[in-house]
Amino acid sequence: MFDAEPVFPDRPIRVAITGAAGQIGYALLPLICTGRMFGMSQKVSLHLLEITPALTALSGVVMELEDCAFPILDSILATDDPAECFKDVDVAMLVGSFPRKAGMERKELLSKNGAIFHGQGEILEAVASKDVKIVIVGNPANTNALILSYFAKGIPVQNISALTRLDHNRTVGLVAKKLGTSVANVEGVVIWGNHSSTQYPDVSNAKVKGFSQSIVEAMGGVEYLEEAMIPHIQGRGASIIAARKLSSAMSAANAACDHVRDWLLGSNGRIVSMAVHSSGEYDIPKGIWYSFPVQCSRGGKFTIVQGLNVSDFSRARMDATAKELTEEREAALSLYQ
Amino acid sequence: MALSQAVGRVGRSLLSSSSSRAMSMSVKPAMNVAVTGAAGQIGYAALMRIANGELLGKDQPINLKLIEVPQGLKPLKGVMMEIQDGAFPLLNSVVGTADLSEGFGDADVCLLIGARPRGPGMERKDLMSANASIFKDQGKAINKSAKKTAKVLVVGNPANTNALVLSANAPNLDPKHIHAMTRLDQNRALGQMALKLGIGVSDIEKLCIWGNHSSTQYPDITHATAMIDGKKVRLSDVIDSKWYSETFLPTVQKRGAAIITARGASSAASAGNSAIDHVRDLFLGSGSAWQSIAVASDGSYGIPKGLVYSIPCLCPGDGKFTMVKDLKVDEYSKKMMSATAKELVEERDMVRHLL
Repeated sequence: MFDAEPVFPDRPIRVAITGAAGQIGYALLPLICTGRMFGMSQKVSLHLLEITPALTALSGVVMELEDCAFPILDSILATDDPAECFKDVDVAMLVGSFPRKAGMERKELLSKNGAIFHGQGEILEAVASKDVKIVIVGNPANTNALILSYFAKGIPVQNISALTRLDHNRTVGLVAKKLGTSVANVEGVVIWGNHSSTQYPDVSNAKVKGFSQSIVEAMGGVEYLEEAMIPHIQGRGASIIAARKLSSAMSAANAACDHVRDWLLGSNGRIVSMAVHSSGEYDIPKGIWYSFPVQCSRGGKFTIVQGLNVSDFSRARMDATAKELTEEREAALSLYQ
Repeated sequence: MALSQAVGRVGRSLLSSSSSRAMSMSVKPAMNVAVTGAAGQIGYAALMRIANGELLGKDQPINLKLIEVPQGLKPLKGVMMEIQDGAFPLLNSVVGTADLSEGFGDADVCLLIGARPRGPGMERKDLMSANASIFKDQGKAINKSAKKTAKVLVVGNPANTNALVLSANAPNLDPKHIHAMTRLDQNRALGQMALKLGIGVSDIEKLCIWGNHSSTQYPDITHATAMIDGKKVRLSDVIDSKWYSETFLPTVQKRGAAIITARGASSAASAGNSAIDHVRDLFLGSGSAWQSIAVASDGSYGIPKGLVYSIPCLCPGDGKFTMVKDLKVDEYSKKMMSATAKELVEERDMVRHLL
């Protein structure tokens, strides 16, 4: 079982999860309660938020949490009131968002989600811990993070992130499979940009134990990346829906758990991918939430890894996804001018 | 095609996306973990946690063998994609198959989640028969292909009787190593008791489940103790017997139905969690804690020999366990333990032809 020095040795860590009765919540909650996120020595208080129509389903989930008899689960709060949910929380995992319906325009999706993350941002700023660490999972994750920050200027931008760890893990899994090695031997994979179809999974800086040549070459060259690897990662979500008839809740929850764990406990020198506020690193426009290579140290701090090699191939793709994020930003903020 | 034939005879494994690792992180040889019903709800809740080392320890590499019926192979493919997307360092390989011999080949651990659910108009007798057929085939396959030392946990219901049928068809395996799961009931009972007393679940000891994983199960608090305000007390001294029989007992016995009503889906996460608890404690040990395990009775407590009956056990680790013997059984307990034994004898009679 995973153990680590507790973040708060004297009290439970308070973790809010929105959309808690949904598929990702269902997969995520046992991970938190078995110490996968903060180690087995850290007690946890769960603050679960759902929309009113889902409160009965949420009560069923609460029953099951009781039935798991988790030793580190200190208490459960289940509510449809965000002010109640977010009070004094140390971590907020915003999984719930407005799903894209068939035929829905992007503008409408941004508008519906804007409303959610506007409200949650204001409330988090007002009632959560001053150091609250926020990860947005609900899509469009990057722009939802930006909207939240816009309406919560009192929350340091470094405390707001969006999830691209799933794309990161998918890429690591693919590299390991293609090269016939363990995922533990794969380091330096980066996801750049938006958690969308313009994301850029980059292996040009990857190092794999036992492989001295360039990983791009080992994978099959730029052609392989362009024709196989990148489309594979970009289309992975849809492939899973096609096979399961349900979306990839388990792997998303696993990635969300990895993201928060590494953020709070440190990534042990490894490079991981997180969508964070850009201050212009790698010539990415300032003020958007963009997935970068980061290293995390204990206590919820991260630094963007500078100085990685950016080939022309990479540059073009990094810029394309930045462009999409800039457009999303304009579309989102135009709703509030 | 009857379900039992489909599970037993379709030979092709449509998916062997096994990605064998060129080198593994740790020195331990990988253990083979076979899971049936792998694309179902409980499998989905459990597989990721198995892959990250919760089952056998964080230094134990695993070869996962995921078994489904032919109709389940396509969703299983999706699940296998997601497992790959989990980038789990301990996962040496993952294979998906409908072929029982392939799936159970050299298995060290068999988690038998898959079972035939109750269909409309189905009598209990029919449910028993249909499932007994499945577990007969799986017993034969395990007998032929799995390691002789394999540890088997039957989760699919009716768990106890399924385990009985399986054991009868797997004579190479010691019946001691074929279990049915009552850990979920134990965890449910602990959860409710902890809530009532306002304490943590870790503060309660020696609460156990006797008998069948059904509504006749007996959650026994007569040996249990709890730490309350720094003092160790006997539960029977602090728990009102009216609350016990009118609230606690029905809540635990009918919990599955309550969850279906609330969630609109069954209790997959907590069931998966209990399966992991059961196997983990068996292999990694849980010290002096009592764990409820449904296993072939040796006649203790007047339980008919050979019946797969839940009893409190101690788990020192490494797949070993010992039954807790010579407990004093009061009149109420005797009555409850008898009733659930009676039900299990009736179930056994329904499947005699398959033993």
